[in-house]
Amino acid sequence: MAKDHVVIIGNGPAANEAAIALRERAPELRVTIVGREHVRQYKPHFLPALIAGKITEHDLFVRPIESYSQAGIKLRLGQEVVDVDFDTRRVILAHKEVLRFDGLIIATGGKPRIPEPFLVFQDVMMTLKTLADARVWIEKLARVDSVLIVGGDLTSVAFAKALVSMGKTVKLMVDEHGFWPLHLGDETRQEVAQRLASSGMELVACRKLKGLARVSADEIRVETDCGRYTVGAVGAFFGLVPDVKFLARSGLYIERGIIVDESLMTHYDGVYAAGDCAQVYHPALRDYWVSIGYRNAENLGRIAALNLIGGKVCAETPPESIFHVEGVKVPTSWWAEI
Amino acid sequence: MARVDLTIEVCGMAGDGTIAAGGLLNEAMSAGGFSVLGFDSYPAEIRGFGRCVTRSRIGTERIFALEDKTNVLISLDDVQSRSRVPYLARDAAVFFDSNPPVYVEEEMSLAARVEPETTLFGFPMADLAAAAAGTTRGRNLTALGGFAATFGVPRDLFVEVITKKFKAKGNKVLDANIKSFDAGYAYGLEHFRDRLRDTLKPLPGIKKGPEKVMLSGNLAIGRGAIDAGLKLYFGYPITPATPIMEYLAAKLPERGGRVVQMEDEISSIGAVLGGFYAGARSMTATSGPGFALMTELITHGVMAEIPAVILNAQRGGPSTGLPTKTEQSDLHAAVFGGPGDSPRIVIAPSDVEECYRYTVLSFQLAEKYQTPVIVLTDFYLDNRVENLPIPQATEREIADANEYPDESVQGAYKRYLMTDSGISPRSIPGMEGFTFSATGLEHVEKGTPNYTEENHMNMTEKRHRKIAGALEDLPAPVEYSRGGPLDVGVIGWGSTFGAILEAVNIANERGLNVGALKITSIFPFHGGVIRAFMNRCSEVLIPELNYEGQLANLIDHLHRKDVVRLSRATGSPIPPSLILKEIETLVPAGAS
Amino acid sequence: MKTSGRDLARKVRSIGESREFEARSGELPTWCPGCGYFGIHHGMNDCIRRLGIPLHKVVTVSGIGCAGRYPFFTKTYGLHTVHGRAVPVATGVKLGNPELTVYAVGGDGDGLAIGGGHLPHVCRRDVDINYVLFDNSIYGLTKGQPSPSSPMGMKSKASPRGTSDKPINATLLALSYGASFVARLFAGDKKMIADVLLEGTKHKGFALFHIYSPCVTFDKSYKTWENLKKWVHPLPETHDPTNLRQAFDQVLEDDWSVGVIYRRPQRE
Repeated sequence: MAKDHVVIIGNGPAANEAAIALRERAPELRVTIVGREHVRQYKPHFLPALIAGKITEHDLFVRPIESYSQAGIKLRLGQEVVDVDFDTRRVILAHKEVLRFDGLIIATGGKPRIPEPFLVFQDVMMTLKTLADARVWIEKLARVDSVLIVGGDLTSVAFAKALVSMGKTVKLMVDEHGFWPLHLGDETRQEVAQRLASSGMELVACRKLKGLARVSADEIRVETDCGRYTVGAVGAFFGLVPDVKFLARSGLYIERGIIVDESLMTHYDGVYAAGDCAQVYHPALRDYWVSIGYRNAENLGRIAALNLIGGKVCAETPPESIFHVEGVKVPTSWWAEI
Repeated sequence: MARVDLTIEVCGMAGDGTIAAGGLLNEAMSAGGFSVLGFDSYPAEIRGFGRCVTRSRIGTERIFALEDKTNVLISLDDVQSRSRVPYLARDAAVFFDSNPPVYVEEEMSLAARVEPETTLFGFPMADLAAAAAGTTRGRNLTALGGFAATFGVPRDLFVEVITKKFKAKGNKVLDANIKSFDAGYAYGLEHFRDRLRDTLKPLPGIKKGPEKVMLSGNLAIGRGAIDAGLKLYFGYPITPATPIMEYLAAKLPERGGRVVQMEDEISSIGAVLGGFYAGARSMTATSGPGFALMTELITHGVMAEIPAVILNAQRGGPSTGLPTKTEQSDLHAAVFGGPGDSPRIVIAPSDVEECYRYTVLSFQLAEKYQTPVIVLTDFYLDNRVENLPIPQATEREIADANEYPDESVQGAYKRYLMTDSGISPRSIPGMEGFTFSATGLEHVEKGTPNYTEENHMNMTEKRHRKIAGALEDLPAPVEYSRGGPLDVGVIGWGSTFGAILEAVNIANERGLNVGALKITSIFPFHGGVIRAFMNRCSEVLIPELNYEGQLANLIDHLHRKDVVRLSRATGSPIPPSLILKEIETLVPAGAS
Repeated sequence: MKTSGRDLARKVRSIGESREFEARSGELPTWCPGCGYFGIHHGMNDCIRRLGIPLHKVVTVSGIGCAGRYPFFTKTYGLHTVHGRAVPVATGVKLGNPELTVYAVGGDGDGLAIGGGHLPHVCRRDVDINYVLFDNSIYGLTKGQPSPSSPMGMKSKASPRGTSDKPINATLLALSYGASFVARLFAGDKKMIADVLLEGTKHKGFALFHIYSPCVTFDKSYKTWENLKKWVHPLPETHDPTNLRQAFDQVLEDDWSVGVIYRRPQRE
């Protein structure tokens, strides 16, 4: 009899932690990770440092590539899942391959969020989620000196500081959605903004982006309700949304993420979701929460794996904590405001 | 200038245009100024059914051998290409069709098999070709287009070679092929942006060198034979020698020659002896099993002193063996095969250019020494292609080398006249006053049979003296080293020598002190030169593609101690890395 | 009856004048006294003389066997090859220099056993060589083993209980393989040999001369002079050698008729 096969879609912290947990607890299983990106798992929060030239790509990686074959985990990179058939338990890959599974963990994480009003400018805005994005930024920054950052989530803070350290001119346009996923009160937001301004960025004090137009390859004309100017590049930083569009017609229940119970199982037997792509039921809250952050994702990945092989572990929300943004203390409970 | 050294494979089923794609790739890379060495393999069974693989090594430096790791795999049939995955380098690039006609199960998927570091370039080759040209037939060119875009090969290079190949088939076909290529090229530029590799930009300056042609060993042999004034070719189909017959069948008639497909290898060599006896340059080409059939008549050529040129394109043996695999295991048969003391000349080219030159040379050797000359090549050398300046032979190299009898002996002619050199002037039918009967029986000077003790001893000695004397016309071994004492001396022959040379070059770059000696004259051989080289080496290594160490058996007595044999009977060329490893184990610790 | 010295001298003189032995070398044939091959030798020499071409433009190629020694006994260029290969070697000689007149000679073992595989192909290839097949139905040089044309039941040291193999008919084979000139002859009729050889040599294309001959040393019962003389007779006068169907009928019905069996009509 063939070994039971667990397929993990995604190659981020939740996916990798799930694979490792499976390998440790159920060595008889066959485990396959399918990742869309062409590189092995890396730490996305180090991408700004990479762009600033403070570290090399090598420093990003979490573990050596050989560790997968040594652990008996089949790692498939640069391969995209386009559909899942839960009835016949088949994953369909973009190159028309059929991958049969007995257990499935969906851990595709998030993708850059572009809010509705900004969708029209999508083509001229750059994002920073993946290593490939970072490589494009590095190439771009070799040619341009000024960058407008729109939105302003947590990643953008680190990125903006990296840009400043490179001697670039940074314009920051923070609106009421700024610092997503944190929901800051006006006062706190002002305070954080002031701190950022003092570290060498220019705050653009306008509320509405009226137009973005590419003048040349490395020139973008910006029109706002309070003036016009030209920058070399525009970055969109509105946080992430679960990357689950490929499952839209699969039959899974999807709201903000893939809806799972407290054991992280979907309504299909043996199919789990973990990490940024999951929307998790919380029995105490009697509501759903969405995971954010690297550690959190790892944690959920492990829980999904344990439950898949017969465990009974309940996904715990992370504790309330104090979050530091530019030295300003922000008390937050992760799930409450999202 | 960054050093480029890439091994590229195209793999598909027969009918996918695999060999054509590999050929175009080689031509384009050659036109881009790169050094190219290609080697195709295809099924032993029916050509129309089975796996085809073309393997090309592209470099900025001269390429001497194939490496065992592939950097780029262009798959035209994923099921077939799966077998190539073990040969991929860690960071290989794989181009494949991402929209096959039917869904593929994991067990049959190429993408499922590759290592994680392999970069996949999946794209809908067939769809792109169909959309661009109305047919999926140009899918192989679409694949090349995707590859070219990704690796920075300018479109023009490919368009040029595609035009050269297809223009004879009319504008419509040519146009469809270029469109198919362009579709892949455009797709690659757009979708593979994040993975573009800039390694195969054409080399400036190099392109202005002498015009180069892409030749296989077999084609070089065919061209050499024609340039040498071949009049008659007799042969029997056998892999891997058949392409020589087919090439000559197309080209020889327009030069006034004839190609006759005989009923077997025995009649082939028989007719070659007949042709040469009548004064016409004649040859045959065969492989091990056919060569075995020829041995009796080859020794007849030795005894009756009739010229012949026999090309033995070796393959895996014994018996039918491995018809489409390479091996150097007919050396014993070539040098010693057949009844009696029967010395003959055996030469073995080691690259495509030498295939040409040694073929040309073989005719003069055969004529001058009135003996069968055996040219030993092998499957790998016959089928690999290299780009090289158009080979040409001088008037002197192709001149008649027969020594005819002097008019003064007319009427009293002794065909097997005893001479110091062992060479007796030879008359040709049609010459008046010089009739004789050539015979495979032992004979006296005049040619009549004679079995007396003294005569057989003298005549045997004469025949050996003659062949030993041929050494003065045979290419001497060539040494590649810094000179002086060497920690390891690697001796090799035939197609294996390229790998040896590459391994020795790398070893010396790494600070070792090793040398290589190329032997192309297998029999007779330059014992003095070989011994002198061996004397300067702490260790002598002889890598060969056979189990018995057949060259080593021939020359090991020249060394003061045992030679180290790297004998491989795998059917595949020895990769330089393996020889390098062996060299490194032989170098004494702390040397150099 | 004793020949007088004067008669003998006259005979020698007349032979010299007739240039009958012009093509004959100084080597004495190694054949046994009374061998049928002397007659063939005589007929061939006569034919070459009558052809009027210089001897240095003729090549005689042979294999191995009693007949294989033939080249040593002529003054043409000669090529004594290995067992069974006279025909392919002769093919090479003719293609090497088409101006040469080329004879391949050999026995039934040489041409029908070890070299039998070449016969179909030289016939269909129709190279302009002349193959003289000396058929005495025995291996003479190796002292009397049965050959492919020996009759069933022939007893010898190698077949003490008699052979069980059927004999093959070289004439029939050549017709079947599509030879363009096929003749059957008898070693005892030197005149006919010379006449037919002359015609066949002039014929452009492959010509087979299948010649019945006795082996006086090892065959005391079958193809003896006595029997052959009894059996052999000329083709019927009605025989049309240009009619292939008639040729087949003739050979199938009658093993012993001699003459030109078949001759493919030639252009010009």
